[in-house]
Amino acid sequence: MDMDEDLPASEPCPTFTNLASFTGPSASPSSYAGPEVEVRALASMATALYPLARAEGLRGLAAVLEKGNAGNGVAEYCYGCAAELLRDEDEDIRLVAVRLAGICVEKIAMREELSGDADQIDLIFLQLSSMARDMCAKVRIEAFNALAKMQRVSDGVLLQSLSKKMIKTDTGSATGKKISPKLVFPCAAGIFAHGIEDEFYQVRAAACKALGELAKFSNQYAQKALDLLMDMMNDDTEAVRLQTLRTLLDMATYGHLSVQEKHMHMFLGILMDANVIVRNAARKILGLVKLPKLQMFKSALDGLIAGLEKDPEDQEIYGVLFSIGKNHGSFSANIAKHLAKEISMASDGELILDKPRIKALLIVSILAPCSVDKEKELDIPAVIFSHAIPLLGTISCALGEDTQDSLLSHLFHRCGLPFWGKRLVSSDGKDSECFSVETADGTHAQIGKTAMSTNCLDEVVIMQSARLILETVQGAWAMRKSCIIGEVQSTLRTCKEEVNILAVNSSGSAYGFLSFVSDYIDAVQLIVEMWRFVQSENSYAFGSTSQDILLEKFDTSVRRMKCCYVGLHRELEVQVLELALLAILFRLSELAICSELVLDKLHWITNHLDGLCADGSYELSDFSQEVKKSFDANCIDCNPAVNICSFLEIFDLKPATNFGMVNARSAVLKVCDTDTDTENPLSCVRGLPVGVSFDVSLQNIACHDRIWLRMIAGESIQHVFLDLSCFGGDDKVKSCSTVIPFYATPMACSFVLRACLVIECPFGSICDHQEGHGGPRDCVVQLCDELDVYFVSADMSKGGG
Amino acid sequence: MAIECLVLGAGQEVGKSCVVVTIGGKRIMFDCGMHMGHHDCQRYPDFARILSATPGATDFTSAISCVVITHFHLDHIGALPYFTEVCGYNGPVYMTYPTKALAPLMLEDYRKVMVDHRGEEEQYSYEDIQRCMKKVIPVDLKQTIQVDRDLVIRAYYAGHVLGAAMIYAKVGDAAMVYTGDYNMTPDRHLGAAQIDRLKLDLLITESTYAKTVRDSKHAREREFLKAVHKCVSGGGKVLIPAFALGRAQELCILLDDYWERMNLKIPIYFSAGLTIQANMYYKMLIGWTSQKIKDSYTVHNPFDFKHVCHFERSFINDPGPCVLFATPGMISGGFSLEVFKRWAPSEKNLVTLPGYCVAGTIGHKLMSGKPTKIDLDKDTHVDVRCQIHQLSFSPHTDSKGIMDLTEFLSPSHVILVHGEKPQMAFLKDRIESELGMPCYYPANNETVSIPTTHYLKINATEKFITSCTAAQARDGLEKANLLCGNHLSGVDGDVKADEGILLMEKSMAPKILCEDELLQLLGTERHSVQFESLLSSRVEEVQTTIVDDVVSEF
Ligand SMILES: [Zn+2]
Repeated sequence: MDMDEDLPASEPCPTFTNLASFTGPSASPSSYAGPEVEVRALASMATALYPLARAEGLRGLAAVLEKGNAGNGVAEYCYGCAAELLRDEDEDIRLVAVRLAGICVEKIAMREELSGDADQIDLIFLQLSSMARDMCAKVRIEAFNALAKMQRVSDGVLLQSLSKKMIKTDTGSATGKKISPKLVFPCAAGIFAHGIEDEFYQVRAAACKALGELAKFSNQYAQKALDLLMDMMNDDTEAVRLQTLRTLLDMATYGHLSVQEKHMHMFLGILMDANVIVRNAARKILGLVKLPKLQMFKSALDGLIAGLEKDPEDQEIYGVLFSIGKNHGSFSANIAKHLAKEISMASDGELILDKPRIKALLIVSILAPCSVDKEKELDIPAVIFSHAIPLLGTISCALGEDTQDSLLSHLFHRCGLPFWGKRLVSSDGKDSECFSVETADGTHAQIGKTAMSTNCLDEVVIMQSARLILETVQGAWAMRKSCIIGEVQSTLRTCKEEVNILAVNSSGSAYGFLSFVSDYIDAVQLIVEMWRFVQSENSYAFGSTSQDILLEKFDTSVRRMKCCYVGLHRELEVQVLELALLAILFRLSELAICSELVLDKLHWITNHLDGLCADGSYELSDFSQEVKKSFDANCIDCNPAVNICSFLEIFDLKPATNFGMVNARSAVLKVCDTDTDTENPLSCVRGLPVGVSFDVSLQNIACHDRIWLRMIAGESIQHVFLDLSCFGGDDKVKSCSTVIPFYATPMACSFVLRACLVIECPFGSICDHQEGHGGPRDCVVQLCDELDVYFVSADMSKGGG
Repeated sequence: MAIECLVLGAGQEVGKSCVVVTIGGKRIMFDCGMHMGHHDCQRYPDFARILSATPGATDFTSAISCVVITHFHLDHIGALPYFTEVCGYNGPVYMTYPTKALAPLMLEDYRKVMVDHRGEEEQYSYEDIQRCMKKVIPVDLKQTIQVDRDLVIRAYYAGHVLGAAMIYAKVGDAAMVYTGDYNMTPDRHLGAAQIDRLKLDLLITESTYAKTVRDSKHAREREFLKAVHKCVSGGGKVLIPAFALGRAQELCILLDDYWERMNLKIPIYFSAGLTIQANMYYKMLIGWTSQKIKDSYTVHNPFDFKHVCHFERSFINDPGPCVLFATPGMISGGFSLEVFKRWAPSEKNLVTLPGYCVAGTIGHKLMSGKPTKIDLDKDTHVDVRCQIHQLSFSPHTDSKGIMDLTEFLSPSHVILVHGEKPQMAFLKDRIESELGMPCYYPANNETVSIPTTHYLKINATEKFITSCTAAQARDGLEKANLLCGNHLSGVDGDVKADEGILLMEKSMAPKILCEDELLQLLGTERHSVQFESLLSSRVEEVQTTIVDDVVSEF
């Protein structure tokens, strides 16, 4: 080959700047010789007789090049030297030669103004390719590394590097003509096909990397390279698999990845890979590519859903679903159509939102209109959007950015809810831009731009979401008989999560309501749990204690619903009372004897229910009627055994239509002025009473409510009644600072006082009356979390200080 | 000097590999194989020709310097006990350690099949094998063996099967490589062939797949696994006839891996104790396997097959799916034939055949066309309704690999053996046209003579050396200036040509000297010859022709 004659010919005339760069260093006395003499000397060393000298010569040239002061032509000259030694007998020299060639290639590629001879580049590519078949693994690695740096290689040559079989050069095409016969190195063909099945994983990884780098320059090549990469996904070395994924991800990012049907199998396989890094990368890739066929789109979805079913906590999948849905507008629309049918078919609660499949499909469906396929009118059934709202939290969490608002308004817009008339106002007072379907081109960036940075969701929207969640809860309860309990439970759990996510971003009345819904779901969850106990043949095997605990928890949540909210609509109030009835029935069935106190409460509730329904606007439910019948008709003494099962059979959760303006009663309790903790305890004197000044603030507490401050230290408990008349503020917020003495200080050097505000339940709860201490007359419900106040005895703290 | 190459076997065919090469008076026999397709005298190479080609030699021991066996396949070693014990060769026999360990297993297995099952006359006995193996000198890879004062041999890794080697042989300046069977791509358990770049006069290479270019092994593996999985999930039985060593292990690693990944519970059986024993050898000879296994065997030895168990003869008629490895490959008799007879009639079952089956075996019959009935002999027929899957992976290199190796080694001449004639002709053309090397593919019992290079040591006169260095220094300076001016076009004159006169006289060492030194030596004066070119032009016509004419004057 006459490399050396050809290379200089391809060089343009020296430009002035190039000359300057050369004369520059020569002028300084320290490097009088200048690089050209250095290069010359090293080059002649590289042709020396002794292998070590040759190797040193090449290394020296590489060092000169890497120093960067390689002027025009030096890289080519060095390449010439390297090329001479590519066939050296000594494998170390071949290694150094390929390394030097790689550096030269990089330098040549870096130069923008490359002279045109494409044959030259192709020749270099082929020459380096032939080194990828060297018998020495290190040489092969170096050869692939050098190939990765190549640019402007003609398509024909690139394609040939993928296939061992000689590609018949199409004489008609321009690319075919370019490879003149003298440029062909027979072994350069299919070096990547060889590379991916190399014995050494380092070579395989290098080949894979080079594949990815070269794919940037030719789409045709990228397509064919994908076949090889798919095979590499099966490699038994993890390092190679990871490199393959990196390459695929790169290709996907640069838009060179066009997945075909035959590749889907592999993608689906790696979606389920045992390695989480592999799984995540596979998803990311799927999120970036464009799938040409509906079938592939569906199988990709199935793959993702399978992953979701395996690990429902995996939030990242939602993000991927989001982008995949957006990238394939018409396919998403197709999914939406089928999903809508499915939703309408499944009438009474059979469609459980918790099912990852439905969740995933909903996410994909709602994104159809955001897709890039703008030209098509995509018709997404409104039912999809209304169902998607409860998932909003999940979706926006997956997106990570505050795109919630825009997305939400988009959803409402789409499902044609009347609320749309009212524009969302963001916290900073500006009108948030409507999520415009027409202009969204479906990229994250676009959504991000239209979204305003507000965390506060519109109240109306929340109510709407909550309504849907409640429907779901009721649906789940309705399904308890026909369905696996576990599924019902997981539905409820999801609903709870959704509520919590919504609650985080809300305040005021919306927050109050969500908090109520949360309690409500708690209660339902507990009933389901108890139902499971009751249903099971040997309920006693579980031990009555666990049932006790459940019952206690249930009582608490019912009490909370009764006492901690104001402004409940009558409809909700009826439901709460029915839950209370249920709690009593549970208690009765468990005790198996009718405590008079309990029965009193039962009657109190039934009467109350009668009162609420008296005006005829509501009908007493079957359940309440049945309870009333069985306890009215019979004498108290002769009906000791309550068959809880039969009551549970008929107990129903009716979907509420009105909620009212629910506000949560809550309280904030703080120790004045100081932050007390274990590091900064308050001081006291052992055995003597201590006064603690508290800041108390109460929300939505009326003057007739009975509020107590409960203080517990070790064994001793003390209740202090708070006189609300001393409080400032209105019905909404009351506050007051007061010093309260605690008498029962223990005889300890240090102790923790657990303080808490509680409210008396005014009616029909069934917990035992607490005697002594002059405490509350009835059951109480906590209004705030317990506050820990740390004390250390004064002499101790002095001694310590 | 020349290399004489007598092809006794595997010339334009596959089977009974045996090439006798004469270099500088040394005679080396590469491989000593038998032909599986013949049952008469043709099964062994025609050893008598060695004696007739060696005037003066009375026995094989004096005629042959050494025998080198490349690997344990019977078509490369099958005739060795016959040659040493029956023909009486008593000289050194070289083979690698694993080949020495595994060869007796192969030989004994085959002897048993021949004698016990086919009832043939015994060609050599068990004791013959034992005695033969005692004569073997084991060699290691890249170990240089001085066979005698002039002959040096060295083994290189060949892939193909455990212990397979390519053999480098050198006598004086003449050097050659005999590849044996080799594989240029690694498989599940073996690495790719690996050799140094050597100065060679001759390369004798196998050419089983002289025309085939195989695509990636991944696709082929997938295909195989798919076929097997489909069969067993349909309740069928899979018969994999294989030789005890080599393919069986590779396929087993593949299946064992797949079983693990897919969590399959269907049993995989090995038919003979032989193979279990062979697996043990594989475990011991880890150093000869692929890089991957070498890297990882301390953690997991891939020859510890989790899903493989021993097969009892009584299992043949058991219901339910299974996979069975049975010897011999190509279903040339023995247990694999027995199982084939039972399983072939069910369409649920599957028989996987190796990529290459010798003509005359049942495997070959199954591969050629789709027979529904196979005649074993006059009276017995087997109905073939089962699926036939032809394994498309092979431990032999493909055409691309042969070209790659040839290009890498760049020998002066190439001889092709171990292939089929038309394909060999095709490959010969490629080697000659693309690589520019003369290439031959002699038939059995033909001899090819190859000229060799001879290196001469010459002395140079002091004056010549001084003039050379002076010219170089001048040249170098000039080029440095050129580089500075960026005129790289002057750079290509890197070949430092100097003129001198080579003087070779009888009984004196050759030496190189300067022109004027020669004049001095000869005692003559300088003569000069001048040339002048004459241009004749005809102006009458529009076009002008320039005619170069050289007139010489004395
Ligand atoms: Zn072989």
